[in-house]
Amino acid sequence: MTITSMLPSKEKRAAKKRRSSIRQDKRWANNLVNGWLIFFAICCVVPMIWLILAPTKTDGQLSNQNPLAFGKLSGYVKAWKNLQFFDDGVIGRWAINSIWYTAAIVLIATVTASLAGFVITASNIRFKKAFLISTLITMLVPPVALVIPMFVLVNSIHLLDNPWGVILVSSLYPFGAFLSYIYYSTTIPKELYESARLDGCNDFQLYSKIAFPLSWPLLSLLAFFAFVGNWANYFMPYVLLPSSENYTLPLGLGFLFHGTPAINPAVGATSVPIGKPEIALAGVLVAVPIMIVFMLSQKRLVRGMLAGSIKS
Amino acid sequence: MAKVKRYKYRNTAMYLMLAPYMAFLIGFGLIPIVMAVFEVPQKSLTNQNGGWDAFKIVVHDFRFMPAARHVLGFMAIFVPLMLFFVLAMALMLDLDAGKWKKYVRLAYIVPASISGAVAVLVWYVILQPTISPIKMILRWLHITQAQQIWQTQNLVFILSLMAFFTAAGQWILIQYGSLQSVSHEIIEAARVDGCNPFQLALRIKLPLISKYVVYMGVLVFAGGLQIFVEPQILNQSVYQGIASAWSFDQLSYELAFTTGDFGGASALSILLLIPSLLGALIVIFKTDMFDDATTLHRKKVKKHGKMKRAEALS
Repeated sequence: MTITSMLPSKEKRAAKKRRSSIRQDKRWANNLVNGWLIFFAICCVVPMIWLILAPTKTDGQLSNQNPLAFGKLSGYVKAWKNLQFFDDGVIGRWAINSIWYTAAIVLIATVTASLAGFVITASNIRFKKAFLISTLITMLVPPVALVIPMFVLVNSIHLLDNPWGVILVSSLYPFGAFLSYIYYSTTIPKELYESARLDGCNDFQLYSKIAFPLSWPLLSLLAFFAFVGNWANYFMPYVLLPSSENYTLPLGLGFLFHGTPAINPAVGATSVPIGKPEIALAGVLVAVPIMIVFMLSQKRLVRGMLAGSIKS
Repeated sequence: MAKVKRYKYRNTAMYLMLAPYMAFLIGFGLIPIVMAVFEVPQKSLTNQNGGWDAFKIVVHDFRFMPAARHVLGFMAIFVPLMLFFVLAMALMLDLDAGKWKKYVRLAYIVPASISGAVAVLVWYVILQPTISPIKMILRWLHITQAQQIWQTQNLVFILSLMAFFTAAGQWILIQYGSLQSVSHEIIEAARVDGCNPFQLALRIKLPLISKYVVYMGVLVFAGGLQIFVEPQILNQSVYQGIASAWSFDQLSYELAFTTGDFGGASALSILLLIPSLLGALIVIFKTDMFDDATTLHRKKVKKHGKMKRAEALS
């Protein structure tokens, strides 16, 4: 028997009304929250949609048409051809530079960090704690903080304006080393190493035959963070690579702003046909690869950033 | 004897595998700081006698206080906005488990790819009344020319918005992930005790994810302090002169590459490194975020000792 069934019918009706009004309030609040979540999602995607659509239009259409209208797909081809007029097609060089610098950094950083994490969990070497704490400190201090000191160092070892200067400096990957330490210490039981040792594995084989084949989830996580951290990196290459032929795409985009009147009112009229669609295409080349990787690896982002504190 | 040899060999191989990472850690993590410290007392145009006065000279530089005002103003908006907004959004996402929310989460990650030069381009467009996707709103605010917005005194707000827009989405997902670690039993128990969703968020969920909030706070603070790319591109390549030596890092860059004062630039870098280092130490030692790493050794020694004792007893 419920409490309301004992109440006189007038009070029963009032209680029913109250319950329904609470329910309505709850539904209204829920709709409000969900509406806000969707509104913010729209705010998040609109700028990217504008950026992707911009190269399909002409400069005039960008000003006159609906900002989210679609122009012509051939606009992409035209914008790319126009970009070739800037510094003898240096944009192609920037794209190749971006790809090869990032690929080299991802490869070197992933391998060195994975090996470091393995050694810390599988060996009995000394100073493990000092290693882990210095790795954590380096991981939590933004790399930008060391740019000027890094310039002094790279200059003194004669790697200034040399791609290897940026590649080597950016290959320091403390976050990766920490992730791989967490991965190996939570997924590979120590007994596995012990039995492999008893079967005659040396330490190199311990990594290559036991740890490495079990590391694919870790390696993909390391490669993901190394890629997103370096593809759009601006400050380090900006300081260490002064020559425009060594630029990456993000640096090149800044250079395009500087050297063309597309969005820089201080530059007068030029014969180079670079307008807003061309600049937007260069922006697409920087942003879209990283967006695709982010969207495909959403779970990796969360898992990686919370590694070490949430085991599941 | 043979056992000792094998032990030594094993460690040599391990050290060899660790060597590349250690070389990077020492070479590009530690040595630059040491070099910066040695660079500070070198003679320069501003510090003609050399010595540690470089710190005093850089703090008394006429551009230091404006840069401090800009960066502190930026941080005063950006950091609390991030913390409040990200946590509120993560808690809202966590209210119930609608299937459609996975698409919303996917959308939230998109702005993470709009950073640096691309962020400048996108915000140039958003705040340009002729081509903006929000031109209706700009018109409603009586903004008909970009110059009405792009003023040095407005940069604190514009740059806060830019940084917020890039970083908020990914942190919402990360904090939503941290909320998934709160056990269902605790949530259910609180609900049975009469907690409404608001009380559940404030009294149960937030305290349980507080270490992640500190972690985020430190990373957001350290990142914000080092703001460089956006004001630098704006100043150099879009609206020239709008943000000259606007941030600490820009001042440091200008000291080094315009006046050749590497001592002053290094002194400023070291001054900026201190709060970041303190933040890092707080996260490592004052929260249990990285407990596994910082207490690993002690735990292992204890465990090893216990095992030995157990073996001896048996």
